[in-house]
Amino acid sequence: MAAKPTRARIRSYNVGFGDCFLLTFFYGEDDTRDILIDFGSTKDSPFGPAKGMLAIAEKIREDSGGKLDMVVATHRHRDHISGFGGDPGDVIASLKPELVLQPWTEDPELEPDARGRPDAAGGRGAPGLVARLANMQAVAQAIKDEVPNLKASPHVRKTVREQLEFLGDTNIANRDSVVNLMKMGKRAVYANFGTELDVAELLPGVGLEVLGPPTLEQSAEIADQREKDPDEFWQLAAASAAAATVAADKPTLLFPDAAVPAETATQEGRWVIPEIERMRSEEMLAIVRSLDSALNNTSLILLFEVGDTRLLFPGDAQIENWSYALFTAPNHEEIRKRLATAAFYKVGHHGSLNATPKTLWSGFKRANEEKTPDRLSTMVSTLAGKHGSEARGTEVPRKLLVTELEHRSNFQDTETLRSADEFWNDVEFEF
Amino acid sequence: MPVLAQDPSVRREDGTILTASVSVPWESLAAGPGGHRVQVIDYDATTHTMYKPAEVEDGDVPDPADDKEILGDPAFHARNVYALAMRTLNRFEYALGRRVSWGFPAHQLKLLPHAFEEMNSFYSREAQSVVLGYYQRGGEPVFMCLSHDIVVHETTHALLDGLRSGFMKPSSPDQAAFHEAFADVVALLSVFSLSDVLSKLISRDPHIPEQDGVIPRSAVTTERLKESALLGLADDMDGESGAARVNALRRSVDLDPDPKLMERDEYLEPHRRGEILVAATMRAFVDAWARRLDAPDAARTDFIEVRRVVEEGADVARTLLTMAIRGLDYTPPVHLEFGDFLSAMITADSEIRADDMKYGLRQGLLDWFAKYGIEPASGSADGLWEGSDFQLASEGVHFGSLQTDPVEMFRLVWANLEKLSLVPSAYTRIASLRPCVRTSPDDGLPLHETVAECLQYVKIRAAELGPYGLVKPEGMPDSTEIPLEGGSTLILDDYGRLKYEVHNRLPDPANKSDVDKAQARLQSLWEQGYFDEGASFAARLATIHRLRAGEALEPRAEVW
Repeated sequence: MAAKPTRARIRSYNVGFGDCFLLTFFYGEDDTRDILIDFGSTKDSPFGPAKGMLAIAEKIREDSGGKLDMVVATHRHRDHISGFGGDPGDVIASLKPELVLQPWTEDPELEPDARGRPDAAGGRGAPGLVARLANMQAVAQAIKDEVPNLKASPHVRKTVREQLEFLGDTNIANRDSVVNLMKMGKRAVYANFGTELDVAELLPGVGLEVLGPPTLEQSAEIADQREKDPDEFWQLAAASAAAATVAADKPTLLFPDAAVPAETATQEGRWVIPEIERMRSEEMLAIVRSLDSALNNTSLILLFEVGDTRLLFPGDAQIENWSYALFTAPNHEEIRKRLATAAFYKVGHHGSLNATPKTLWSGFKRANEEKTPDRLSTMVSTLAGKHGSEARGTEVPRKLLVTELEHRSNFQDTETLRSADEFWNDVEFEF
Repeated sequence: MPVLAQDPSVRREDGTILTASVSVPWESLAAGPGGHRVQVIDYDATTHTMYKPAEVEDGDVPDPADDKEILGDPAFHARNVYALAMRTLNRFEYALGRRVSWGFPAHQLKLLPHAFEEMNSFYSREAQSVVLGYYQRGGEPVFMCLSHDIVVHETTHALLDGLRSGFMKPSSPDQAAFHEAFADVVALLSVFSLSDVLSKLISRDPHIPEQDGVIPRSAVTTERLKESALLGLADDMDGESGAARVNALRRSVDLDPDPKLMERDEYLEPHRRGEILVAATMRAFVDAWARRLDAPDAARTDFIEVRRVVEEGADVARTLLTMAIRGLDYTPPVHLEFGDFLSAMITADSEIRADDMKYGLRQGLLDWFAKYGIEPASGSADGLWEGSDFQLASEGVHFGSLQTDPVEMFRLVWANLEKLSLVPSAYTRIASLRPCVRTSPDDGLPLHETVAECLQYVKIRAAELGPYGLVKPEGMPDSTEIPLEGGSTLILDDYGRLKYEVHNRLPDPANKSDVDKAQARLQSLWEQGYFDEGASFAARLATIHRLRAGEALEPRAEVW
């Protein structure tokens, strides 16, 4: 084994709406170290392989030579981890990853009802947040379950209903994948900003820095007493969600004896009922959006480093997660300097409007229009038309951002892939 | 009518829920209750269920039989929200001396006591409604319609929107904060104007030793009253209204004075900023109350009756509430800042209540606002708006119709564009015209005023900002369309003469301070993404309330 790799390849598989990247370091032609970063999808690409995720899992087996050195699950959204469950998950588990890396919020010892040390994670923060995330997923489940009922209502706008269905589905707990991830690695590490990872043997000559997510103590805004408020909000919302799930077919009425047919309503009542139905669906959407963001912000942000070549994988981290590394951390200026020299950027959150901080983007020194030899390479894994709306400026991928990526970097997008046999994009780096 | 004094967690010594009786003007009521101003519609969108409308008999409505009825009878819930909304409307009409209309084209506000299963309640202009949610806690539903302060808070949003529709528009951080803060001030003062609540809070405070209905005067200091009444209420409320709301109220009343607060970044967020206004007002309240109890009187002893403590408190709360509501008429129609509201309250109050010896509330407000860094916008030590030093040319204007006919008022404005420093090329309209009659507590005589809101509006491109003295924010494309708004509130006396002209005009390059403020607003709106293509910035109160529960706004500068 050479002391350092001679080249690296990043392969992005067409999972549709989701992420799946295989980062391979070459130490001579047959000697590789393979890192799988996320494997999930909420919607297959119409142009992807016929067998879908299973075909991709098998291709990963082939590409990694039957052995994964590391698996990274940046956060627990379905579009990042669904492939770790079911048949595709069995394939990945059979590749016997040495190390499974997840964010600190996934640490099973943080489970609120876990026995043993309540501050198991070395005081990194409240099991409260973990409970909050679990509550959020319960809410997402209830919202997803409610969608068929909303379909029956003529007052709920189609776009709202579709977003609820999509976001609900993304945010529900992926028990199967979560359990499989917990078991599949020889070693499991739950990391936060600044966690020192011992990968010297696993990835000789490669530095790996964790830039996010911050812990509760690190993130200043969370130090405040106000942070108990969202815990409570989600706890109560989950309680309501649980009640709704139990009574999915026949909701429990508050006052069964006082129920009367809606037709008895006054004219004002008849006018206002559709308004309230519509508002309720929009409220649900606002809630599911907010929990979606919260989960995105538990994303790992990883910076790989070989010599002066830096490869950046930020998962779906949004501004709140990024802001610690970029603005608040004691060493944020140093971090920004290192980020500025990045040779590769995995576009955050499938190209959405709030996951590529402008401070980060404008800092990339290798991003340019001149197409210099060391120009920044970027990759996005996405599927247009699934998320957000162009009219509201929330479409994914965001057009403004894509235009910028196209003009100022060597940009590759899984969406342009059209082959069911060659369903990946590659970028290579020589060291 | 019986209502909940605060919410089901505020209980009597025997553990039963504390109720209070409030008077509501008589009206012919349909089932609902449905009156001529508010209609209760008991529809639950989560279960898609309509509940039977509540009947109300004429005369005194009997108290609920027990706590079971309070919690479990939807008819009681319906009557509770009806009574609280009507009481709030009544306070507004009393203070303003006229009928107050809603901010939507209908006469009746709809109240939905069990709108959906969610920990949120809000006013919606589109739905012409105040919607109140419910949620599960420990297997039992918690009803937001049973929280006095929440019902009053949401009704106040609806009333404020009717009085100043411009305050819902995107503008300065102060204006974004004002709706929330004002609704909290009205809600808190509404709760404290109930003697039953104060009596309970005072009697319970172990630091106020009570014997035979009297307590030592030395025990009722500003600090003590703050602890027992303001924070005591928050303590009681814990666990019922949702900790997020209680924490917010607690922060508001517990926020220590600091003249630099307004400049801190964290206080740029609307709900946090609003806490400053609430803190200043509520501190002024307890201070005036304590001073009132310390007032020299002939039979002064070292002790004071609890009943008097309570009644004085309720009285100060009512007076201050009236001041706050009256102040609205004297605010500029757009781009409100806290200092404007302070001057407006002081001026409106001194017009009708020349003698403030009894409570010293005007000076109290000035002092307390100053401690939180809010100076009166009038720039004068007494905080009063300066009276108009010119008169309007009124040739051809009919005084009779000036009070009621916006066309006549527009004629007056049109004839005086220059005197009023209005921009001739801008779109100009009379947004509201309101004749009012208020009775002076000094001499019992009526004071007639006419309040007109005159709005000016231009829509220009970013490249055209120069003539207004404004500079395009960095990164804004030349072609961005920018709406600029200005406005004046004209207050006329009995004879149609101009008494006050309170303005935030379209920026004029000759007036540096106006331009600076407009520039700051432009910059802040740009940073919040207001001018973005397809941006939706409807200042939805629903969102603001959810934000209170801990969601953060994203820094616009980082977003695509």
